[in-house]
Amino acid sequence: MMWRVISAHALHFRSWDDEFVVYNSLSGDTHLLGAAAAHVLSELQRTPAEAVTLAGSLAPVLQTSFDEELVLETERLLAELDRLALIERSRF
Amino acid sequence: MNSQPLVLRAFRQPGSLRSLSLEDWDLLLRQARHANLLARLHALLDEHGLLEQVPQQPREHLEWSHAIAERHTQAIRWEVGRIQKAMAEVGVPIILLKGAAYVMANLPLAQGRLFSDIDIMVPKESLNAVEAALMLHGWAATHHDAYDQRYYRAWMHELPPMRHVKRSTVIDVHHAILPETASLHPDPAKLRAAACALDGHDGLRVFAPSDMVLHSAAHLFHDGEMENGLRDLIDIHSLLCHFGGLPMFWPDIVERARELELTRPLFYALRYAALILHTPIPADIEEAASRTGRPNRLMLAFMDSLFTRALLPVHPSCSDGLSSSARWMLYVRANWLRMPPLLLARHLFHKAFISPKAE
Amino acid sequence: MNISALTLPELGFRLKTAGIFLQTGSFVTHLRTSIASVAEGIGLLYADYPLVEQAGFADFHVSLACPRTLRRWFKPQVLFLFDGRPTFKPLPLDQAFPMLEWGLNWCVSSHANRYLIIHAAVVEKGGHAAILPAPPGSGKSTLCAALVCRGWRLLSDELALVRVSDGRIIPLPRPISLKNESIDIIRHYEPDAVFGRKVSDTMKGTVAHMRAPAESIVQAMETARPAWVIFPRYQAGAATRLEALPRSRAFMRVADNAFNYSLLGVRGFETLAGLIDASLCYDFSYSVLDEAIEKFAALKPPAP
Repeated sequence: MMWRVISAHALHFRSWDDEFVVYNSLSGDTHLLGAAAAHVLSELQRTPAEAVTLAGSLAPVLQTSFDEELVLETERLLAELDRLALIERSRF
Repeated sequence: MNSQPLVLRAFRQPGSLRSLSLEDWDLLLRQARHANLLARLHALLDEHGLLEQVPQQPREHLEWSHAIAERHTQAIRWEVGRIQKAMAEVGVPIILLKGAAYVMANLPLAQGRLFSDIDIMVPKESLNAVEAALMLHGWAATHHDAYDQRYYRAWMHELPPMRHVKRSTVIDVHHAILPETASLHPDPAKLRAAACALDGHDGLRVFAPSDMVLHSAAHLFHDGEMENGLRDLIDIHSLLCHFGGLPMFWPDIVERARELELTRPLFYALRYAALILHTPIPADIEEAASRTGRPNRLMLAFMDSLFTRALLPVHPSCSDGLSSSARWMLYVRANWLRMPPLLLARHLFHKAFISPKAE
Repeated sequence: MNISALTLPELGFRLKTAGIFLQTGSFVTHLRTSIASVAEGIGLLYADYPLVEQAGFADFHVSLACPRTLRRWFKPQVLFLFDGRPTFKPLPLDQAFPMLEWGLNWCVSSHANRYLIIHAAVVEKGGHAAILPAPPGSGKSTLCAALVCRGWRLLSDELALVRVSDGRIIPLPRPISLKNESIDIIRHYEPDAVFGRKVSDTMKGTVAHMRAPAESIVQAMETARPAWVIFPRYQAGAATRLEALPRSRAFMRVADNAFNYSLLGVRGFETLAGLIDASLCYDFSYSVLDEAIEKFAALKPPAP
């Protein structure tokens, strides 16, 4: 299943230390996100991707091994970002 | 009655605002604020390239209200997107009404408008499916009292308003533009047949231009609440100015009013827009609308005195002694038009004594 | 000309008839009332404020009036009217002056959308401003009053106005609202402070207003640069502690304390981000006022 950000220009990021605040100019909502979520969002902003690919890019960022558990965690993260209307399923 | 309240002068001749004194601006802003037209005033000045010339102090206030209007537009677009998503599986075209339609169709009158609920129209047969889909996506029913439920479903023309559990936005689902109990019956099937698609928004439609005007006219001249009378008349004025250039728009609207049984509201809309806002209307069209929709002389004189007062902004500088009773009479009149007298009495009685609400 | 140039009878007369045009920071308010306690409160606490003559334009048109119901014979009340329309439920007549203050705050916080408006006190020293956001009961007003009695400039005790266009803080110095024990604490802390009449049994308990220092009013048109965002918390017996706060957390907490953050959309986001960028952010707990003042005096501004 492919994911993408809700719109290329809708998200505004600012970060301090390891945390990020994101403003979604479509929904008007503001979110506080950790490094993993912010990384996933910025990857998806470049190009749509699947959970597996994203987990692969997350492993070095989180300094953890690329295994099934990480993929599951990534899927959960994606579901959460979907619920927050920051990302959506992509057809391509 | 004060001759030409400033707020009317503003909408009739925006250029005249160049010469306003600070005192005039003070009064104009207060009248506009009372009529919920402050953001519209900003949009008007912006449209005519006059914002730069507004003195700094009143300009602040216009910018303050502009910020609110922008936020409302953002919220409407988002909400419409969420509704579109919720309705995707129902497979029935959704017609956006009023403010939501103006925004999504990028009409000039969407600028500076504030919105409360979102109104949509669907075929009567689809009401259950639509309600179910909305509930699946987080909208919940309000007005749980059995009487209220019946009032909305059977007597009015809509589901009871639905409120989103997280966003608190409200959606009103209609199946017609006037209640079944009303004395006029514009056919929803005809309205749906003429509805236009929206570029880039599958499954969403808006009314055809004449139908947009006629709906607005029916809403203003049948509804009881004149608090926003001037604002609603300005909507009609804006729609007429915007669509007036379309070929065949004017003859079409007269014919369409006849088709939809809305000749009387069209007559009033054209009459008061021309009278109060100086909307340019072709003489032959005014005549045709008059022929098909004018009431008898006595009634017209009475309605003139009611509407010309009630359509003014609710500000002490714009009222004479008669104004609030004019507004009250319109409320009773409008409700009478919507519901047969017996039902009305029962409805008001029930509302007052049987289902008290903790507000 | 300042309000102090009028005698109380003259002030009362003007308020009753044509009203007065009062300048507070960048806002001009046209005020009318026949209520004596309001005239007295204004005469005392707004003595140093400029009276705008022949204003022509006012940002807000406000009046305080007694509703003309039968009730007025045994339980007189007061209504706050915004351009002739009541905005709140009536209160007992005794609370007219506090109602004016709450009403004036409401005027700004509900309308002035060229500013990000945070529910916070703001004080300034040496060109650097400290914003103290706080939900009710955190002791922000007490701390604000104390700071202002020890050399800090008062920008506001209630509303931090951050200008969207450039991130500067706009002053709105007005009488500082104190409640319950705080009133006596500050009276004791600064015997020279001028207080209006205590009003009891309000929604917030017993309330009194302290006059803003004259210098703060004189400087009311000088904007300030933000340097610190400090969340105060009074706790009996607590040690004085200034603890660094992660900026992203500070961002979210300030957004929570702002009146119009969401309304301003992306501009609200950017203005708040700019504010946080420019400031050092802290949680602050205290119980002894003198120690708190010392801690504030020792604050270092962020590197430019």
